[in-house]
Order: sequence, then structure tokens, then C-alpha cells
Amino acid sequence: MPELVHSDWRLSSRVLGKGLHEFLSFRLADESYVVELALVREISSPPALTKVPRAPVGVMGVCSVRGLLVTVFDLRYRLRVPLSPQSRTSRILLTSAGAEDELVGLFVDEVKHVIRLEGSEIEPPQSALGIEAPDYVIGVGRKQGDVFVVLNLVGLMS
Amino acid sequence: MVDVIDKAREEFLSEAQELIEALSRSVMALDELQNASSEDPALVNETFRIVHTLKGLSGIFSAKAIGTLSHQVEDVLDVLRLGKLQSSEEFIDVLLRVVELYWLLLANEKSGEEPPDLEPTLEQLRQFASRAGAERVESSSAQELDPTLLAVLTEYEEHRLRTCVERGFSLFKVRVCFRLETLDKELDAIKSVLTPLGEVITYLPTGEASSIDTIELDLLLASPSGAEDIEAAASTKSVRVVPVLLRSPRASQPERALERVAFTPPITVAPPPDQEQSPRRVRESELMTTGAIRSVSQTVRVDIRKLDTLMNSVGELAIVRGALGRVSERLRAEGKRQLATELQRLHRSFERRLGELQSGILEVRMVPLSQVFDRLTRVVRQISRDVGKQVRLVITGSDTEIDKLIVEELSDPLMHLVRNAIDHGIETAERRLALGKPEQGIIAINAFQKGNHVVLEIEDDGGGIDEQFLIQRAVHSGALGEGQATELSRGEVMNLVFLPGVSTREQVGDYSGRGVGMDVVKTNIAKLGGVIDLHSERNIGTKITVTLPITLAIVSALLVRCAGHTFALPLTSISEALSLDAANVRRINHREVYTLRGASLPLCRLEQLLELTTHSGHITPSGRRRFVVVATVGNRRLGLVTDELLGQEDIVIKSLGKSLRGVRGFSGATELGDQRVALVLDVAAVIEEVLHGGDAREPELRGTIDA
Repeated sequence: MPELVHSDWRLSSRVLGKGLHEFLSFRLADESYVVELALVREISSPPALTKVPRAPVGVMGVCSVRGLLVTVFDLRYRLRVPLSPQSRTSRILLTSAGAEDELVGLFVDEVKHVIRLEGSEIEPPQSALGIEAPDYVIGVGRKQGDVFVVLNLVGLMS
Repeated sequence: MVDVIDKAREEFLSEAQELIEALSRSVMALDELQNASSEDPALVNETFRIVHTLKGLSGIFSAKAIGTLSHQVEDVLDVLRLGKLQSSEEFIDVLLRVVELYWLLLANEKSGEEPPDLEPTLEQLRQFASRAGAERVESSSAQELDPTLLAVLTEYEEHRLRTCVERGFSLFKVRVCFRLETLDKELDAIKSVLTPLGEVITYLPTGEASSIDTIELDLLLASPSGAEDIEAAASTKSVRVVPVLLRSPRASQPERALERVAFTPPITVAPPPDQEQSPRRVRESELMTTGAIRSVSQTVRVDIRKLDTLMNSVGELAIVRGALGRVSERLRAEGKRQLATELQRLHRSFERRLGELQSGILEVRMVPLSQVFDRLTRVVRQISRDVGKQVRLVITGSDTEIDKLIVEELSDPLMHLVRNAIDHGIETAERRLALGKPEQGIIAINAFQKGNHVVLEIEDDGGGIDEQFLIQRAVHSGALGEGQATELSRGEVMNLVFLPGVSTREQVGDYSGRGVGMDVVKTNIAKLGGVIDLHSERNIGTKITVTLPITLAIVSALLVRCAGHTFALPLTSISEALSLDAANVRRINHREVYTLRGASLPLCRLEQLLELTTHSGHITPSGRRRFVVVATVGNRRLGLVTDELLGQEDIVIKSLGKSLRGVRGFSGATELGDQRVALVLDVAAVIEEVLHGGDAREPELRGTIDA
């Protein structure tokens, strides 16, 4: 078993351990990603976003979700995926993965479906992607011919 | 079952907190008296009662440590109020320490951590109590007083009586009939009428009541005035005033001796479960008395989160109100005039009531600044003693009110400012004498409301700030270039003290030196939406002025649009808005300045400061009319140039999430009617950034100045 060089080894060992885990798959440009379903609070159509001047790159803006002020991040920027204009399928994932458990929104091009993956169906990043795996990637999942990058959401947002 | 216990515990903690706060205020007042070498027996009695109540409360809830401490303090305070002990500075110090211990113990009750060691303080208290026996202050033991009179008085009341007699007062029985249901109010009323005339020693039921719902009391009043004067003063209530003979009757003058009547008071205060109480003391708690218990019941403790929820609801209602207004306009536009007028009328009424509701809730959030100031007095004594300087703290305006949330955050910055004043400002006694100043240095804190702001002035009569030293440090820390020093105005030199690295001492002193500089204070004040200014004169003193908004919750704001972005500017920071007249714009020293009624107003083009790229599709035609919004905070002004003025709206400011903490210039965001979000400009921060940007790069001025 190759040694896991991973910033959040607990998370990955949990995910890669025995048992079935539920993930939400989504599309960013041409690539498919999944995150742990439990971390996603809500999926909504992108509301009107207010841009925040002089905000760090990757911050798309802020919006109001039933009275709560939510900062929306562009995952495409963080993962260095080419940007495309908003479309009918664009969505915001609401998750409490922000700093200090803050509720934040993540912009994605399309939400696909829920996938169940066994730990055994996820390869650690080293073998799949080579040595240089970013710490926000838990691994690569394969199911029925499809390939997904399993993201560590918390690691991604920190 | 557990829930009930938890709730009871919450109640206990809440009550205990109020009592400790009251105790803290009393001790401060005792300290003032001590300094002025005067006395106030009522205050000492009040302090005793607070601790007495605290002891009882802790007994009911098995808070052992608090009970133990209270027992010992009560003993000492009893000895004090009986005149067997004189107050002194050491004594006040111990009392201050007691208050500190109470706070620690209370925190322990909540957290369950290691309790502080009470023994040293208990020992000190015991010593004071034992010293008392030898220190009998009054000399009236020679006086013979009527034993039947004395029999109805408690030890404390007897002491008070003797003290009054010594001062040459006479004793009177003021007989008043009260209605049972309004007993406490009426009793308070008659006492406040009588107190200016002397001292109310006690009151006793006469045992004669004309009806079931009334009670007749004899108030024993010691007074230098005559019976007629007393009757005249109590003219609003029908009273009978009868002089009372103090000595045992020898002659055949029959004077009705006061009798202790077996009486079950209709309103009782539950006596604390303390078997050690002497029978005399027990009576104190049986009769209705004013003091700690009464003041507790007149206030309601409210969790600030509940207030926040209420504020949110009010905020949502404000949005609904705005929407109503728009619907009524649309009705009018569609020709349905009657409906529109009716709706408009309702809208106006709704607006009025909502305004009242809003003001009411805002008022509830306000607390007096004394909460912060009380702690300061104690700290000042400690520090000045530790650094060996004589310093007195004088506070005025402590009942000025400000939002509870602001008060919480004010404590630390104020503490630093005061510490700085003692450490660096006030000189040593020798130096002061050499300069012809009084030995004792003074730090004066003054608080008052000014419009929609609260102003705090912290002034010391110390040595002032050495400009040269300041410049040296600024250059040394790299904040200032060598050549720049000469270009600075006096005001700008003073502001150098707020630069990081300038106001920290090289050698680590106990307090101010430890890396907490004025830059941190300034940042903290800025976070509250306030500003800080500094004036100093060598050898005369330093005055620091902190200006804070009264409340953070719901504000009236001016909505503006700039480069396609909508911003909200809190009205409290705006003095006016006007059309920009290009002819009045000048460029001085790379900055744009506007001439407004003969005075110069620095300008800031928002789209440049905020690096606004216009939204796609939005075109700002050149030559279009622009506006200047004059922002004013403290005594600084800045003209903000925007494209459009959208109107005024009441908004609830919500803070931006933690991930946006580093973004400068915004104090939050607000939701406008149709779920759109507008950012709220932090005017104080923008003024700060533009006027005192320091090393921040100058915003690029593009092309010519256009209208």
C-alpha cells in the first residue's frame, strides 16, 4: 500500500477506507469532479451576485441566500480550469467548508449526480496523477468507465 | 428535569452577575469617598446588603466558593457599617480584589475550571474584621438611650441612631398609612421626601390598620429640623409627626413607648438559609427595604442575540416597507389612483410605526459606558502603584450610552490608551514638582454624545509627545523616509504615532512596551467604525479623541451607483451631497481638491480607489453629470465622487464572511428590496486610506479632470 503523502491523511484514510461513500459529481469545463455529499448543504441556481471590489482573485462575489450573506467562490479559478460564461446548467454549491466553518458558495458549470464509491474504487493521487498531487485532491475515482477527481473540499478552501 | 436545573442555573448566574456589577459600582463609590475623606453610611449599608444577598443566593444554588467569600466580606462590611472600622486605601484595595475574585469565581461556575485561591484575601478580610474590636470610632457609649427604644432596633440601626444623636439630631415618629398594593412605591416616595431632612433609621408597623388592604407604619426619622418642618415637607401624604424622647422618662411625661408588635409582613423577601444569623439581623430581611433586591427586579436581562433577531426582523420589515412603496407607485402608474392613495396612506402609517419600533429596539441595545469605565479605575490604581507614579483617574459622562456590541470591544483599546498615558505620559512625582505641576498626575476621561456619534476624550496632564523622538522612531522603523520628515505638518507628525513599529518601546516594559502599539488601538477602533485623533503639547499633556458611531445595527444610508456598482453609505458619516462642478476641482500635490464654499475638500474617485472595472455592457458616458458625497467622520472630510445618487434607505448591515476579512473599505453588505446585495462602504476606513494612506500608492489620475 503506497504511503499517503497527504495533508489531511485522516480524511483520505477515512474516504479510502472500507465502506461506501456518497459523493456529488459536478462538471467544471470539460472535467468531472466529486466532493463528499455530506459537505454539500444545498444546491441552487446562481442568484444575482454582487461583485466585491479588491477581493482576492477567485471570489466571484456575494449574494443573499434567504437573508444570509454568502461569499461565492469560483472553483474553476482554484482548480485552474478554463472559464466559460454562465449557462443554464450553472449552479452554486453551498457548503460550510469556508474558513472557520463559514457557509460559502462554490460555482460549478453543471451538477451531475450522486455517486457511491467504495474506498477501493479510489486511487491515491500519486499513482493516478504522479508525484505532484495537490493537497486538495484525495484521489481519483473510477466507476463504470468514468473518471472523477475526488476533491478534499476543506483543503481546497483553506 | 435537567432543563429545569439548567434554566435555574442560568438565572443564578445572571442574578449573580448583576449583583457583582452593583458591588463593583459600590466599591468604586466607596473609593471616591475614601479619597475625599467623606462618608456615606447609606452607601456602606447598600454595599453590605449586596454582599448579603449574594451570600444568600449562592447558598440556594450551592455555589460554595462564592458563599464562603461573601460570608467573610459580609462580616467585614458589617463591622464597617457599625462604625467599628475606618475605611482606608488598603481596605479599598482588598475590596477591589474581592470584586475581581467574584468575577473569577463566576467565570468558574460557568467553565468549571480550577478556582482561584481565596485564602490570601480571606485572611486579609479576617484581619480587618479582628482589628475592628480595638478601633471603636464613636464615643457615644456614654450616652444613655431609652432601652425600650433600643430594643426594637438592630445593632446597625442603633449605631445609626447614636451617630445622629451625637450630631445633635432629634428623633421623630412619622406615622403614615399605606395601601398594601402600592406599599413599595409609596414607601420609596415618603423616604425620598424625608431623607433630605435627616436620616430614616427604621420603620415599624404600628399594628393598627384601618382596613384589610392598608398598613400603618411608624418611620423613625432622626433630624435636626423641627416637627412642623417635617410635616410641611411630607405635605403630600397625610402624616402625623410626633417627637420621640430619647432618654428613659423620669418625669411624669407619659410618652408612648414604641412597642415591638408581632407582625407578619404581607410582602416578604425570602430569608437566606443561614442559621448563623442573629435574630436582630433577620428582621432586616423581613421588612421591605430598598436596595439591591429592588433594583434587580426593575430591570430585565436580555440576551443580546435575542435583540439581534429582533433587529433582523425589523430590518426585513423595512425591506417590505420599501416594496410597499414601490407597489403603490406602480398602482398609480396603472391609473388605479384610489387604491394607490389608500396604499400610500397605509405605507406612511407603517413607516411611522416601524420607525418607532426600530428606535425602541436600538435603545434597548444601548448600555452606559460605565461598564467599561469601572474596570479602568481599578487598573489605573494598580499600574500607577506598580510604576511608582501618582495618578488619579477622573471620569465624566459615564452614563453616556452606546451599543452593547461596541462596549464589549472598547475595553481593550481604552485600557491600552490609559496604560500608555500612565507609562509614557505622566511624569514621575519629582519631575512634575520640578516643572511646577502638582505631584499627582491626572487622567481625565470624558464621554458625551455628539449627533449620531459618541465621543470619548482621554486627556492627561503629562509630558506630551516628543515630536523629534517620534520622527526618529518613524524613520528608524522604516515608516518614514529621511527627507520626508520636514514635509510633514504638525498634525501629520502626531499621526506618526499610529504607524506600526513607532509606538512600541524597545525595552519591554510591563505594559505598553509589549508590542501593543497605538497602531493596534487604531485598528480596533476602526473595526468599530470609529476614528481616533491625537493632540499633544510638550510638558502640558496629551489629548486623545475617539469618535464612535452610536450603533452598528440598523442605519439610514444613501445609496449611490458608481461604475455599475451600487454602494450604501451610512448617513451618519455624510454631511451633504451635491452636483460636481468641474470648475471647482483643482489638483494640489497630486491630489484632487474641490472648493466647497471657500474651503478645500479632498476628493476621491470611488472607481479609482476601489479599482472598479465597469460591468460589461455598462458605459459611463463622459461629460455626464457626476456627484460629490461629502463624507465626514470626526473632523476629517472627504468628497466621494460617484455617478448617481439613488436615494435613501434604511438598511441592516450584515458582516462579510471571514473569507473576505482582508478586503478593505467595506463594513459589510446589505440586502436591498429585490434580494440584490449592495456593499456598505466603511467611510471611516476609506477616509483613512485616502488621507493617511502613507505608503499606499496614489490612485492613478487618468487624463483630464472631467465633469
